[in-house]
Amino acid sequence: MESDLEHIFTHFPNGKREDLIPILQVIQDEKGFLSEETIDAVGKYLRISTNKIYGVATFYDNFRFGPVGRYHFRLCQGTACHVAGASTLQKELEKLLKVHAGETDKSGLFSLEVASCLGACGLAPLVEVNDEFYTNITLESLKELVRMIREKENETL
Amino acid sequence: MECKIEVNNKMIPAREGESLLEALREHGFKIPTLCHMNRFSPTGACRLCVVEVEGMKDLVTSCSYPVKDGMKVKTNSQRVIKARKSLVELLLSNHPDDCLYCQRNGHCELQWLAGEMNVKERKYFAGKLTDNPDYSSTSVARDPAKCVLCSRCVRICEEVQRVTAIDFISRGNETKVNSAFRKGLNVSSCIQCGQCIQVCPTAALLDISHLEKVQAALGNHKKQVMFVISPSAIASVTELMGFKAKDKVLERLTAALKRLGAGKVFNMGTAADIHVMEEAGQLAEMLKNKDKEHQPLMSSCCPSWVRYVSVFRPKVLPHLASVKSPGHIAGSLLKTDYAREHGIAGENIYTVSITPCVAKKYEASWEKNTHQGVSEVDAVLTVRELFRLLRSFGLNLAQMEEEAPDSPYQQSSAAAYKLGYSGGKAEAVARELFRIMKGNSKEKFRFLQPKSMAGKRETQVTIGKKQVGFAWVSSIAEAEDYLDALREEGRDDIHYIEVMACLGGCAGGGGQPISRGFDKPKARKKLCGDMEKTATWQSASENTVAADFFARIPFRGNKLWEQANK
Repeated sequence: MESDLEHIFTHFPNGKREDLIPILQVIQDEKGFLSEETIDAVGKYLRISTNKIYGVATFYDNFRFGPVGRYHFRLCQGTACHVAGASTLQKELEKLLKVHAGETDKSGLFSLEVASCLGACGLAPLVEVNDEFYTNITLESLKELVRMIREKENETL
Repeated sequence: MECKIEVNNKMIPAREGESLLEALREHGFKIPTLCHMNRFSPTGACRLCVVEVEGMKDLVTSCSYPVKDGMKVKTNSQRVIKARKSLVELLLSNHPDDCLYCQRNGHCELQWLAGEMNVKERKYFAGKLTDNPDYSSTSVARDPAKCVLCSRCVRICEEVQRVTAIDFISRGNETKVNSAFRKGLNVSSCIQCGQCIQVCPTAALLDISHLEKVQAALGNHKKQVMFVISPSAIASVTELMGFKAKDKVLERLTAALKRLGAGKVFNMGTAADIHVMEEAGQLAEMLKNKDKEHQPLMSSCCPSWVRYVSVFRPKVLPHLASVKSPGHIAGSLLKTDYAREHGIAGENIYTVSITPCVAKKYEASWEKNTHQGVSEVDAVLTVRELFRLLRSFGLNLAQMEEEAPDSPYQQSSAAAYKLGYSGGKAEAVARELFRIMKGNSKEKFRFLQPKSMAGKRETQVTIGKKQVGFAWVSSIAEAEDYLDALREEGRDDIHYIEVMACLGGCAGGGGQPISRGFDKPKARKKLCGDMEKTATWQSASENTVAADFFARIPFRGNKLWEQANK
């Protein structure tokens, strides 16, 4: 497991404590999430306790510890979105996707994450699916969005 | 720089730059704290130490506020008291409130604070914490529902032991102290030293109790329960009960344990003497063979240190002495030697060690210490558990008669008491090495112990024309730093290093009675020193039982020993 992170570590030749978060970010970009094995390997490289790294990583919302679905939903729950009814949308989305916030469904199709603020408050409420923004969403447009994704998936099958 | 500050309309001297908390406490002002730890940098997390400083808009945390000349402080103004009370009420808002069923009932800092702040009702209602406890480890249990997130355990685990087996996970009101990946302590890097239990203000960290096991064995007529009391546990009981070294605490304990149904009660001192003799023998061998590969020899009686080395520093493993710890020497002797001599079947003997250590519970589970699944030491009671046991039987040591422990493991040499504190074991081993190398020559043995516990931690002992270097460290951080320094400076004048994982050695062990502050290890060390003077013999090998043991079973190289130690 260590060897397939070697190419990442070479970008951080000094292996210092302050390299921890950048390393974790690169690993997550590449692998989609932080596994126990990768955290162990980073700990060995930086000589930091595994639990310390886990503590740091769990502090930030952006680190994940399990794989995301093929369609990764990030629902904004920032102040503007919250006021615009994001909580109702979240409940609806959990129903539609059949996953709870922070989870991935068993088939690996959908995952849902609640984000603090995605920085598009003027377009609230909004949801991001695989790096694409869907803005000013309503319960109807949300249903439509999920329906379209499911349809597309069925076609490709 | 010396200066003066005004506290509650009274002038007190202080030193500029020191923390306000230090100055206030030094002059007897009572300031409550939860997160503060002596010798550690302040975090200002619990905010209970707030005081009012004239000219400051907000209350300041005295633990992290430096003294300035002429400052005016109020420690007990209404504003301060109200703030502190609210803080405690908030801490209690999600507490399980099950004090009646709590192990720390009566010894809980949160409970004390609630009393001191005159908290009479639940003012804030938050959902009570319902996290599952973690009983997966062999010696340390965690109950996160009782946790107040003071960070003491996290800091001692990281800064003193360099292990970080537990840390803050997640953020905000989701924050929990937990082990890596929220898995159990049993699969973490925990070295089971129990220092976290010592500093925990509530019952969020506890030892894995062996009390029930022991009580069941006491009620089992087939089993003969044999208690083995370690000298450092005697010192600990003496200290807690306010006895003096001459008060024959071991004899009182023997009488008490006999009353609650013990078959036999022994002094672990003899096993400790055997341990010291064997370790000194290994050291002598290393010196004779000019064995640079194993130099410096390191003590291996601390299970936490052994665990640390095997997990974090496997390269150091060959340096560890291959001697069983005193507890397991005693356990195996009782189940084999003693059983044979007295015609008792080994499986009918139930051995219970009483020590100030929680890691011994872990040591008892090591494969090399078990035979066909049965450990040499069936149960380990910490001093805390011992007191719970005595209390449940209504036994008061102060009113107890005196009864000599059972033969043959009755007495011990001064060496056995020396195992109880940092630096002591090195001296005991040095004395024994001196005897091995010099026989009965007239040369005098000299071992300079530093006066303060924070003093220099190494010394040279002259044996004939030879200089033998002894060093001692307590806590993993100290051990790591010392070993690094030795390597960096390329020194080879140190031949033996005594390593104990707890601060101050077993005198500050994880199984000691809970106490605030760091002055207790010092008191226990002093008691060990006093009891050394009452010991029958000076050096380990003068112990006739131990010497007899070595006469029957040849010194080192004996296959049985090797097997037992591998």
